[in-house]
Amino acid sequence: MIELKHITKIYELNRADRVVALNDVSLSIKEGVVLVLKGASGSGKSSILSLIAALSKPTSGEVIVDGKKISKLSDNFASVYRRDNIGFVFQKYNLIPNLSVRDNILLPLVPLNLDAKDAEEKLALVMEMFHIAHKANAIVKNLSGGEQQRVAIARANINNPKIILADEPTANLDEKLSLSFIEILKELKSLNKTIVIATHDPLFFNLDFVDSVVEIHNGIVR
Amino acid sequence: MLLSPEVLALLILNVIFFLFAIIAFILSVKIFLKWDLNSTSQAQYKLEKQSFLTATIIKYIFIIKVPLFLFFIFTLDKISGLLTGAMCAAGVVNATSYGTYLILLKILNLYLFAYWLALHNEDMKHEHQPYTKMKFGIFIAAFFLLMTEIILEGVMFKAIDIEKVVDCCGAIYSSSANSYISVIFRLKASLLLVLFYGNFLLIVIFYFLKKRYIFALSNAFFIIISLITLISFFGTYIYQLPTHHCPFCFLQKDYYYIGYFIYIFLFIGTFYGLLSGFLRTSEKEISKNYKIALLFNFLYVILLTSYPILFYIKNGVWL
Amino acid sequence: MKNKINIYLIEFAINAILRQKYKSLFVAVVFILLTFLLTSVFFITNSIKYELNSTVEALPEIIIQKTEAGRVQNIDVAEVDRILAVKGVSDAYARVWGYYYFENAGVNFSIVGVDKFENQYKNSLAKIVDRFDFGEADSPLMIIGKGVHESMKKNYYKEYFNFIKSDGTLKKVTIAGVFDGDTQLESNDMIVMSKETFREIFNMPQTKATDIVVKVANSSEIATVVSKLKLIYPNSSIITKESIKVSYQNIFNYKSGLFLALFIISLFTFFIVIYDKVSGLSSEEKREVGILKAIGWRVDDVLKEKFYEAAIISLFSYIVGVGLAMAFVYLFQAPILRDIFVGYSELKPSFELPFVFDIQTLFLVFFLSVPIYIAATIIPSWRVATLEADEVIR
Repeated sequence: MIELKHITKIYELNRADRVVALNDVSLSIKEGVVLVLKGASGSGKSSILSLIAALSKPTSGEVIVDGKKISKLSDNFASVYRRDNIGFVFQKYNLIPNLSVRDNILLPLVPLNLDAKDAEEKLALVMEMFHIAHKANAIVKNLSGGEQQRVAIARANINNPKIILADEPTANLDEKLSLSFIEILKELKSLNKTIVIATHDPLFFNLDFVDSVVEIHNGIVR
Repeated sequence: MLLSPEVLALLILNVIFFLFAIIAFILSVKIFLKWDLNSTSQAQYKLEKQSFLTATIIKYIFIIKVPLFLFFIFTLDKISGLLTGAMCAAGVVNATSYGTYLILLKILNLYLFAYWLALHNEDMKHEHQPYTKMKFGIFIAAFFLLMTEIILEGVMFKAIDIEKVVDCCGAIYSSSANSYISVIFRLKASLLLVLFYGNFLLIVIFYFLKKRYIFALSNAFFIIISLITLISFFGTYIYQLPTHHCPFCFLQKDYYYIGYFIYIFLFIGTFYGLLSGFLRTSEKEISKNYKIALLFNFLYVILLTSYPILFYIKNGVWL
Repeated sequence: MKNKINIYLIEFAINAILRQKYKSLFVAVVFILLTFLLTSVFFITNSIKYELNSTVEALPEIIIQKTEAGRVQNIDVAEVDRILAVKGVSDAYARVWGYYYFENAGVNFSIVGVDKFENQYKNSLAKIVDRFDFGEADSPLMIIGKGVHESMKKNYYKEYFNFIKSDGTLKKVTIAGVFDGDTQLESNDMIVMSKETFREIFNMPQTKATDIVVKVANSSEIATVVSKLKLIYPNSSIITKESIKVSYQNIFNYKSGLFLALFIISLFTFFIVIYDKVSGLSSEEKREVGILKAIGWRVDDVLKEKFYEAAIISLFSYIVGVGLAMAFVYLFQAPILRDIFVGYSELKPSFELPFVFDIQTLFLVFFLSVPIYIAATIIPSWRVATLEADEVIR
């Protein structure tokens, strides 16, 4: 259960210039739900994802996930919360280009200091699931866009998080790859994960497994 | 003034500690006064970031200080070759009026910094960081001790006079010496041994009874009684000389550097012993601290006891 | 479990170092240079100290020189008998020795004259006298040290050498052999010949000697013997081994002190250079840390990773630096650098640095480099670790 209560987010670019990204937004997302945040770029939908992931703090209001006020976590514990609960698929994937696929997917596990056996097991599982195992030792910067996205999804899932966040997942994909991404989403939904997608791609608005579509316009939920 | 490369290295590192400690001190004061985890203000947010820097600096100082302490003793041993009369570090420590205080202060600071780290580790495990104010408060106090230590160390090296003839350890640690150290030689060895083993027995008993505070207290006593018996009784068996009582000579190569093991065991054992009483933490952690304390105190007792026993087996007599 | 070494983090740190190729290379080169210089200097000074000490140990306990108007003059050989009469003196010898400046090579040789039928004041000399013959007055022979041999060979004197006598005529002396002394510093520039030949070359009368050395059986009586000799020869200078040792040490400490001053400056520069290099974060590095934090690395994890990086790069550079220094000093005999410490190398033929290994030197260099490097990385690492993930990955 994700709850946003009266969230306002203001970015202060400098003293004179401020941007109101979200204005008194309230939203609640039940467990296992697939929610699509619809809106033009700059409408504030990315800010919502970032708040749910505790990557930024609201100017006012509260974000509560499973009863826990995550908008007040300290830097360290925000990271722990992300590590254990959130799988974030960024728009630009945010992979480390000079590392191999394997090393990129393993990144979230590095600080956990797991036994090699456990780590390799988890790695094999997600690489299999997202069809990237055959590229395990390839360097990420040499991969195609679709492959990079699969690496990003695999990395987001390696800790088996309850919540998956995806920011404009199809912005850099052609139609065929977009459709295969939707297949992946279906699979994740079947694992009972809560999925929040921020997008302006109409492809997502009429899918049968999407539970609700919320439109955001200039920082306000319609 | 004595300016060998070793001394210079110690002084340079002290300068680094000095500068970093000042940064950590200023931040600590700010954090101590203004920390409020419930606030969402920018100021608090900045403080949270700065607390990481402060903690990193303190960790750095401690991590370097531990091997540096050994290097310090090593250096004193080496300098002893330049001072007429000195045979080991004891002579150098006694060459100036600051030496003894410096050593005591260094040991105190090691305990304090180690405690700080344990507190910090515990603090970082909890979302509401219950010990933040306390740990930075402790650092504010530790800062002054550290500064005193750094200044004292500089003053000591400046005061060492190579021309002056100093006492060797044989003269300093003897019953005829006119100092506070000689007091312990008036105590009977049998009484000291009863106290020593009795104290260790108490530690074992309180380990099983799991009485945190008394366990810590008996560890505190154990530091003192251990050092006294080491000087007055066990030392003589390490040297196999009834009159040699020096607590430094056995750090040298001739005795296979056994002194380093002796002191490291004692430090780890008693530190965790004290920690079990002074740090409120999870059951699991406390029981871990108990175990480490008991293990290392036990190793210490075994190591020291083996010297007279082996001596007796070899020679058939006591010293 | 908790204290296990994190292999994945080490792997990541190594990768991170390799990804920042130029920066890492720069830091490593600076670091290696510093540890290399430091270790070399300490190795050289240790070796020279060892050489000096052995040279001084080989010196006689007391030397008596006659001085007039503050200059050393030749002393009467007959004084030996007066000195032998002093209680506590076990033996006394009149030495003839001096320096010969060989202009073509620009070096000084020290020439020692010996007499086969006298006792020698030094074991090394006694050995030479036993083994070699010094020939007759008209066809004299000499024994030369290794360094002397080298400089003569370079000037095509392979079998004999022409000394220029004080009256300007030449004296031909045949080389009978080359010897190895106890220490190189002592024997390298030495030529041993008979007293007769020596006197002929330097025009020294039979009744005179350069100085007189005195042996004392019981070393604790040296001070008493010196004061007795002082009474007999109030106008002579009486030099003891201890005082030579002290003056050697002083010259040496002065040079080390000079070096240490330079060295503090270089450490400071090192700190600044590293600080500057480490704190200059590229946007790529910032982004990388942003990504790590976004996928669940804590500030502590980032700090730990940065610490691993610093530790790996500094330990690696330290080991390479020390290794290079060892090869440089002991394998290649530290060209250039040792001339700074062996001040008279220009005048004396060269010698080899003996291998003196002192583990404490390694600790010393460690404490002078690794902690300073890590200190320089603390603030930059903290800066990057506390970046706002959200802002840098946008």
